[in-house]
Amino acid sequence: MRIPAPSATRQNLLCAAALGLIFLSAPFPGIQVILHAMLVLALAPRSGDPLLGALWALAAGWTLEGSLRLYPHLGGTAWADLTLTLLAGWMAGRWPLEGLKGWLVRLASLSLLHALLMHGAVRLAAGPHPWGLGWFWALLSVPLWGWLTWRLLHAGAGSGRR
Amino acid sequence: MAVRTSKWGWNPAGWQRSAVILLWLGHGIWVLLGANPGRHWTSVAEAVSRPSQSLASRWETWRAARRETARGLAGTRAENARLSAELAQLKTQAAQEAPRLSEAEAAVRLLGLKRQIPLDLKAARVIFSTRPATFGGMILDRGQDLGLVADQGVLVPEGIVGRLWSVSGTQSKVLPADAPNASVAVMLMRSRAMGVLQGLGSGRALIRYVSNQEVVQVGEAVLTSGLDRVFPRGLLVGYVAEVAQSDLELRVIVHLSAPLDRLDAVLLLPPQPPLEVQPPFLAPVPKPQRKRGTP
Repeated sequence: MRIPAPSATRQNLLCAAALGLIFLSAPFPGIQVILHAMLVLALAPRSGDPLLGALWALAAGWTLEGSLRLYPHLGGTAWADLTLTLLAGWMAGRWPLEGLKGWLVRLASLSLLHALLMHGAVRLAAGPHPWGLGWFWALLSVPLWGWLTWRLLHAGAGSGRR
Repeated sequence: MAVRTSKWGWNPAGWQRSAVILLWLGHGIWVLLGANPGRHWTSVAEAVSRPSQSLASRWETWRAARRETARGLAGTRAENARLSAELAQLKTQAAQEAPRLSEAEAAVRLLGLKRQIPLDLKAARVIFSTRPATFGGMILDRGQDLGLVADQGVLVPEGIVGRLWSVSGTQSKVLPADAPNASVAVMLMRSRAMGVLQGLGSGRALIRYVSNQEVVQVGEAVLTSGLDRVFPRGLLVGYVAEVAQSDLELRVIVHLSAPLDRLDAVLLLPPQPPLEVQPPFLAPVPKPQRKRGTP
């Protein structure tokens, strides 16, 4: 059964809230990277309307890098976020969601790809840098924020899976 | 709004799609440029130009080595020319100073002879030689100004030269011992046989009045006997070169030891010297006592 897409207003509000949390959680990088992955991979992608999602992804990337203040040349994270958001949106249109399990699997694979692409882009932009364990925490917590975004975005859209 | 169903063109979906593409490309270019936009081009240019740079470096190294070699060669040539000029100058200087050096050596030898003979010897310089002429002799640069008189003996470290034949105010003439009209009282060193030396010319002389009963060996030294009161006893005259028997006496040919044709300076004995002259007693210099343990 195909699950309908969430409303744009709800999605934008959730994206704005997540972006605010990313900004506010700057002192806690472990939490920040999880919020960042949630915004980029779960909240921002939208099938058929890539521009708003792209803008939210760019905002998330620039906010994260700007709050980290680690790299001499910013932009790598934002570009990786944009790419992954576009990819996730395309996947949502190409392979519509059919349940929570598929959603979690998709998020896990996108998280892994996101970590690789983000560090590669940062390396291209700013040179060698420490990876840290953020990618690991984001991957480990996929069930948590995946379930949460599922509940916030898709479970309330008349799917009957509340 | 479904972008997937919309067509490309100047509609809202096309605007969105174009904006997303521009955003993605812009960010991608921004990421690729990196912190130092020229570093990629620099690395590529370095990789491309590395062979030519290596060749240029080797070429420059070779040129520098060649330049250094040429500089060293030029320096060596200049040094060689300088040393050649200096050598020529030194040779000229040595040639100029050779007569002076020879005179100095002769003076040193005369000084040694003067110390060995405890007589009042006087020195004079030979300024001219007439030996190639008949009854020729040598002209000395001193005469009556030095108190010289005729018949004073003349000698050099190698042996006797002759006697003063005539003395003028500032010059004197020497009659060499090999002159035909010269005679010197001599004795043979080993046989102690005495005779009279008469000149034969060209550094040769003949001893007369030696009995043929005497045994004379070729190479035997001939000394002055002192009987003529011109030379004291024991001065070297020459060496026996040839001995021949005759009816009454031996014919003994002597080669005079003094180089009569190459004299620069001579010593003059006092007139009427004593018959016997003993060399001065020189006390041996005691060796310095060394203390035990000192080097």
